[in-house]
Amino acid sequence: MKWIIKQISKEEWSPYAAGILLGIVGILAVFLSDSLLGASGAFENLAGMLGKAIAPKAFDNLYFNFVMPPGITWGVVLLIGVFFGGLIGAATSGTLKWGKKDAANSDAQWKRIFGPQVWKRWVLGFVGAIILEYSAGIAGGCTSGLAISGGMLLVPAAFLFIAGMFVSGIITALIVYRNRY
Amino acid sequence: MNFVIALFLGVFFGFALNKVGLTKYHKIVNQFRFTDMTVLKFMMTALVVAMIGLYGLRGLGLITFPAVPNTYIVGNLVGGLLFGVGMALTGY
Repeated sequence: MKWIIKQISKEEWSPYAAGILLGIVGILAVFLSDSLLGASGAFENLAGMLGKAIAPKAFDNLYFNFVMPPGITWGVVLLIGVFFGGLIGAATSGTLKWGKKDAANSDAQWKRIFGPQVWKRWVLGFVGAIILEYSAGIAGGCTSGLAISGGMLLVPAAFLFIAGMFVSGIITALIVYRNRY
Repeated sequence: MNFVIALFLGVFFGFALNKVGLTKYHKIVNQFRFTDMTVLKFMMTALVVAMIGLYGLRGLGLITFPAVPNTYIVGNLVGGLLFGVGMALTGY
């Protein structure tokens, strides 16, 4: 029991241990509710809901009617769970910085590269997230929905996606970090 | 009932991501700089465990696979190429 508590309150797990946990979660998702773990699709469901309420004409297209139907889907509920899971994870390891001074920009490496300003983090986060969500829409999933969930079913799309992701990720990191790479 | 399962699994999903440090910017971007291999170790372990489990369960006839993500080579590749840019910038 003591050992379990010690493991739970550890800040950083071995990636292999956490990987096994995620693998089991992935199996259970298929086994219990015949679904795949996905994160980006949920945002599109929510965006579709919002869009249909505000501008129903603009959102009355093939994509939002058939590919990503709006509504509270399994993925949306999963995402709520992910939020609380992350919160519990941070709370148990004592790194929860809710409401603290530099909570929005607490990553030392980020500060060294881009500067300590919080607004920079917000802007870059927002722009990057738009790129992420848009490209996840093109590819048909994100890291969890396509690369991990597709990969575990041995779908070719997942491995194409991982290859593309690493190629451009490495190039982007190379440009951002230049001689510090 | 399905939603309760989703919430429950989501909590464990988020917990695993947080504990391995994938909620942190430097973990993600250092993978692309190859100074920290956490992302690959984590992803590949999850893939192998889930593959064995899923194909095993299917072999036993306990599950059928859900609708798998479609493969369309250009879309997946272009999406992946754009995705990497966002990933290296935000550390998602």
